[in-house]
Amino acid sequence: MTRIVAVLASLLRGLLQAALIVMLTFFLCRVMPGDVVDVLGLEGGLTAEQQAAMRHSLGLDRPLPLQFADWVGHALTGDFGRSIRFDRPVGEMLGAALPVTAKLAALSFCLGVALALLLAIAATARPSRWLDAAIDLVNTWSIAVPTFCAGVAAILVFSIWLGWLPVIGGLLVPVLVVGLDNAGQIVKPLGEELREAVLLPHVRTARAKGLSPWRTAFAHVLPAAMPVVLALSGLVLGGLVAGSLTMEVLFALPGLGSLTLNAIHGRDYPIILAAVTLIAVALVAINTIVDMLHRLIDPRVS
Amino acid sequence: MRPILEIADLDIAIAGRRVVRDLSLSIAPGETMALIGESGSGKSMTAAAVMGLLPRGARIAEHSRLRFDGVPLSPEDEVAMRPLRGRAMSMVFQDPMSCLNPFMVVAGQIDEALQRLGAGNGGQRRARMLELLGLVELPDPAVLARRYPHELSGGQQQRVMLAMALAAEPRLLIADEPTSALDATVQAEILGLLKSLQRKLGNALLFITHDLAAAAQLAHRIVVMRAGRVVEYGPAAVVLGDPREEYTRKLVSTRRMLAAPPPGRPEARAVDPALRIEGLVHDYPARRLFGRPFRSLHGVSLTIAPGETLGILGESGSGKSTLARLAIGLARSGAGEIALFGTSIAQRARLDRALRRRCQIIFQNPYGALNPRLTIEAAMREPLELLGLSGRDDRVRIEAALVDVGLGGEHLARYPHQLSGGQRQRVCIARALLSDPELLICDEIVSALDATVQMQVIAMLKALQAKRGFAMMFVGHDIEIVRWVSDRIAVMHRGRIVEQGPAAAIVTAPQAPYTQMLMAATLGSVAWPVPAGTSKGCDFECPIPGIEPMSGGGANARSLRPIKDEDVLSHATAAAVDGEDAA
Amino acid sequence: MAIRVSAEEAGLGRERSGGRRPAGLVLACAIVLLAVAAGLAAPWLTPNSPLDQDLLAINQGPSTDFPLGTDHLGRDVFARLLYGARSTLGISVAGTAIAFAIGAGLALLALAFGRWPAMLLFAAIDLVRALPGTLLALLLIVGLGSGPGPLIVALGVSFTPLVAYVTRATYLRETARDYVQAATSFCGGRLHILRRHILPNIAGALVTQAAIILPRCIVTESVLSFLGVGSSPDAPTWGRMIADSSRFVERAPHAILVPLVALVLLTLSLSAIGNHLRRRLDPVRDGAGDPAGMDEAEPAEPARSPLATA
Repeated sequence: MTRIVAVLASLLRGLLQAALIVMLTFFLCRVMPGDVVDVLGLEGGLTAEQQAAMRHSLGLDRPLPLQFADWVGHALTGDFGRSIRFDRPVGEMLGAALPVTAKLAALSFCLGVALALLLAIAATARPSRWLDAAIDLVNTWSIAVPTFCAGVAAILVFSIWLGWLPVIGGLLVPVLVVGLDNAGQIVKPLGEELREAVLLPHVRTARAKGLSPWRTAFAHVLPAAMPVVLALSGLVLGGLVAGSLTMEVLFALPGLGSLTLNAIHGRDYPIILAAVTLIAVALVAINTIVDMLHRLIDPRVS
Repeated sequence: MRPILEIADLDIAIAGRRVVRDLSLSIAPGETMALIGESGSGKSMTAAAVMGLLPRGARIAEHSRLRFDGVPLSPEDEVAMRPLRGRAMSMVFQDPMSCLNPFMVVAGQIDEALQRLGAGNGGQRRARMLELLGLVELPDPAVLARRYPHELSGGQQQRVMLAMALAAEPRLLIADEPTSALDATVQAEILGLLKSLQRKLGNALLFITHDLAAAAQLAHRIVVMRAGRVVEYGPAAVVLGDPREEYTRKLVSTRRMLAAPPPGRPEARAVDPALRIEGLVHDYPARRLFGRPFRSLHGVSLTIAPGETLGILGESGSGKSTLARLAIGLARSGAGEIALFGTSIAQRARLDRALRRRCQIIFQNPYGALNPRLTIEAAMREPLELLGLSGRDDRVRIEAALVDVGLGGEHLARYPHQLSGGQRQRVCIARALLSDPELLICDEIVSALDATVQMQVIAMLKALQAKRGFAMMFVGHDIEIVRWVSDRIAVMHRGRIVEQGPAAAIVTAPQAPYTQMLMAATLGSVAWPVPAGTSKGCDFECPIPGIEPMSGGGANARSLRPIKDEDVLSHATAAAVDGEDAA
Repeated sequence: MAIRVSAEEAGLGRERSGGRRPAGLVLACAIVLLAVAAGLAAPWLTPNSPLDQDLLAINQGPSTDFPLGTDHLGRDVFARLLYGARSTLGISVAGTAIAFAIGAGLALLALAFGRWPAMLLFAAIDLVRALPGTLLALLLIVGLGSGPGPLIVALGVSFTPLVAYVTRATYLRETARDYVQAATSFCGGRLHILRRHILPNIAGALVTQAAIILPRCIVTESVLSFLGVGSSPDAPTWGRMIADSSRFVERAPHAILVPLVALVLLTLSLSAIGNHLRRRLDPVRDGAGDPAGMDEAEPAEPARSPLATA
C-alpha cells in the first residue's frame, strides 16, 4: 500500500515537473524579442496592417494566460496545432522527426551504458593500471570534448583525410560520439560504486559462506550496485538530449533536435512548445520508471 | 588431541604497517578461545586471516604458519580457501544488519549456503533451513524465512547469521564481535545461544570481543591482544582472575572498579531543582508527505537536584538522547514542561546567555564534537566569546581548564585529529566546564571510547564533580557505567521512563519487568572471577590532586561468582597447552 | 567500535600526496594561465583585429601576416584565438559566478534561515531539474534574447540546480555534526555557525565544485554557439569559431582545428585541476578505502593517556 502511494507521489511530482516546464517554455517563447509575424514579415515584406491582421488571426494579440489555456486545452486532446511557417499539423511533423531521434538516443544510450559497465566491471574484477587509465581517458574525454567537436573531428579525420565515410548520413558516427560521451559521464562513479560494493559487509558474508565468485558477483555485488547504475542511467539522459541536438544539426539528421532548432530560429511557437513538451514528458516518464525500478530492486525503500 | 586450529608466528602487514605481530595460538576441538582486545589490537585481522578474508593490501609474512586440523592453510590463496569456508569453518560478524544481503529474503540466503553443500533437492533444503532456524531459537521459522533482513530485529538478524554459519556444522566457528552491535538484553541471549549451540554441535569457537564480561562467560581460554601483539594467554579464570600483565590488569580492574561504589557525593541542597521535566512529549516530523510522525518521547517526567547525578539508562532507540537534547534546548518539544533552574524553556526558541552559561552538554562522539579546522585553543575560545565570558586571561583560563582534565598547554595549538579519542573527549569536557555550569548533560560520552579510556574519563568526571559540585544528567546504555556514575537512575524504554530510583536499588532490586529483564541480562551473564582474598583495588590514579584514588575491591552490591568451568576442557589440558605455548 | 574518522582526518591530510607535484598538474596550470594571459594581452600580441574581413584572402594557410591563417571570411585566426580566449573565459567565469551566487549563496542563506525558505527554494529547483542544462539554457536564451548578458544568465541558471544540490548536501552533512550542536549550546547564532563552522568546512567542496563547473560552462557555451544561440559575432568565443568554421571543414581545416585544440586543452586542464582539488579538498568518497568492520589501524601518534602515566 505504501509502495503504491509512493509510486503515485513520484508520478504526480513528475507530471508537475512536466507541466511547469511546458509553462516555462510557453512564456519564454512569448517574451522573446520578435515573433513569428516579424520573421515572416521580414521575409515576405508585409505591411504593418497585414501583420496586425495576421497576429489577430493567429490569436497572438490575446492575453497570454488565455492563449496558454487554449493551447493546453487543445494539447490535452492531442491537438498540438499547426506549424505557422509550414502550415502543417505539428503532430505530423513531430511524428516524422521522432523515430530518427529515438533511434539515435536509444542506440547511444545502450552503447554508453554497455561500455561504461564493461569498463567498470573489468576494472573491479581485475584491477589494473591500464584499465584505470582507460576509464580516466573516457571520463576526461566526455568532460573536455564537446560532442559537436568530436563530431567535427570525426568528419575531418574519417571522411576528409581518410575518405572512409560519407560526410553526411548514417547513424554510425553520431551514435559512437554520443555513446562515448555518455559512457564517460558515468564510468567513473560506476567504477567507484562497484569497488565499494565489493567491500560491503554482506559481500564478505557471501565469501565467508564459500560461494563461487560468479554467484557472489551476480547475487550479492550487482544488486547492491544496481540503484546507483539506475540513478546514473537517469543522469545520462541530460547528456543524451544535448548530444542528439548537436549531432542532428551537424549531420543534418531530420530529427526532433533540428526541428526544434529551426523552429526557434523561425519563432514557430507551436513546434517549439510541442517538441519541448514531448522531451519533458519523455524525461519525466523515464525518471519515474527509474524510480519505480529502484523501488522494485531495493526492498528497503518503502 | 590434535588442535583444530594452530597459528604460529602470524604476522600481518597492511601497506608496510604491521597490524599483527608474532601471534601464536591453538584451539582444541570443541574449545572456546576468546581473543580480547581494544580497537586497533589486530584481533579482527587475525580472524580474517584464518578465513582468508583479509582486505586487499594486507599481507601475511612468509614465516607465518597456519594449520587447520593439521593441514596447512594458505589464506592468500582464494581457490584453496573457498572449499573450506562455509564447510569446515564459518564466521559470523559484528553488525548483522549490514552483513546480511538486504536484497534477498532470509530463506534465499540460507538456501545459498545449503546449495553449496549440495544438501539434497529443494524440499530437503527447505526442511533443513527450517530446522536451522529452529536451532537458533527463532520463533515461527516459516514466517521469518520469507522476510527481508531489514524487517528483522538486530537479535533475529544475528540468529539468521548464525543459522547460515552453522548450516554445514563447521568444526570451527569464528565469531567476530557478534554481540557488540546489539542491545544489552539481546547480547545476553546471543551469548547464551552461542554457548548452548556449541554444547549441542561440539564445534570449536574463536570468539573475538572487547567485552571482558562476555569473554568470561563463554571462553575456556583467553588471549589478550594489544597493538597486534599477544599480551597474555591462558585459561579464562586465571587470566581474568589473576592477570599477570599490567595491561590485562588494567582491563580487568576497569571492570572491577565499576563494581565498586563511587566516591561519596556532595550533599543535595534542598532548593530549586537544577532541571525539572514534566510530561515531556516529542515527535520527529514525518519523513515524507503522508507519513506519520514518530513519537520518540511519551510524557517523560524527572527532576535533578543541584549537585546530583541522574543516570538515564536505555537501549538504542529508547529516546534518551532526544531527552538530553531537549533538556538543554537544542530541540523543540511537542508538549510538556522543561524548567532549567526554575525557568521554563519548553516554549522558547532559544535560551539566553545567562541560562546557557549554567548548563552545558557533552556529546557521544568526540570526533564530531570538535571542528576539524579549529585548533583546540580556538575551539575552547568559542564558548568564552559566545557566552560573554571573554577577558584578558582567556588563555590562562583555557590552559587551567585543560590541566583540570589531565591535558596541558602543549595541546592548545593542536588540531583535533592530532589527539586520541580520549583526549578529544577530555577537551570537550574542559570546554563544557569553562563557563562553570551548574548542570552538565553527558550524552553517551564514553560509549565511543575503549574500555580503559572509558574508565579514565568517567573517573575524572566524577572527581571534577566532587570538586565543583555540578549536577549531571548522565545518559548511557552501559548499566555498570551508569550505575557507577549516578546517584539515581531512570530507566527508559520506548520513550517512557519505566522506573526511577536510587542507583543501587534499580540495579539490585528492579521493580519494573523491563528493568528486571535488563538487569538479568547483564548480571546473569557477568560471572566475574574475583579470586578470594585479593584486595587489589582500582589501578587508576586520579589526575586531580587532593582527591583520593578510588579504592575498594570485591565488596559490592553484586554477588560475583567465579567462573564455572563446566565444559569440556579441564584446567589441566588448558595449563598444558598454555605451558607449551609459553615455552 | 571503529569510528569513521578517516573522513575528517583525510580532510586535513596535509602530508598526503603533497610534496611532489605531478607534472600533468603543472602543465594544466600553465595552459590555463596561458589562456588567461592571451585573453588579457590580446591587443598587444597581434596587430590584427579579430573581426576585420578580407574577402580576398579567405581560407588561407599560415603566413607572416596571418600566423595561423584565415577563415572562410578572411579573418585572422590567430587574432580570433587570442580575443576568443578573452570572451570564452569571461563568459564562462561570469556564468559560473552566477551559478554560485544563486545556487550556493541563496541556498546557504535559505538553509540557514529556517525550514520554509529552503523548502520553497528547493521545490522550485526540483521542478526545473527535469530539464537538461543545455535545453534549459537554450530556452532561456530564446526568452531573454541573444547577447553576452542573456548568455551568461542562461549559463548560470542552467548550472544552478547542480550547485544548489551540492551545497545542500554538504551543508546538511556539516549541520549534523556535533560541533554545530555544541556551538548552538554556547548560544552561537545562525550567522556565527554559518561563518565559523559551516563555511570553512564546506569551502573545499564548493571550490572543487567551481573547478568542475567552469569547464562544463565552457563546453555548454560552445554547444550553444554551435546551435546558433551562443556568443555574439562581435565577441566570438572559441565555441563560436568552431561552429562558424564547421561548414568549411574541407577547405580550411586549420580554421577549425586551432580553436578546437585550444578549447579541448583548456577544458582538459581545468578539469584536471578540478579533479586534483577534489582529491585534496573534498574527501567525501576517499574514506571508502577502509575495509568495513576491520580493526582500526594504530593511530599514527599513539594515544598516550596522561592518566596511565601519572
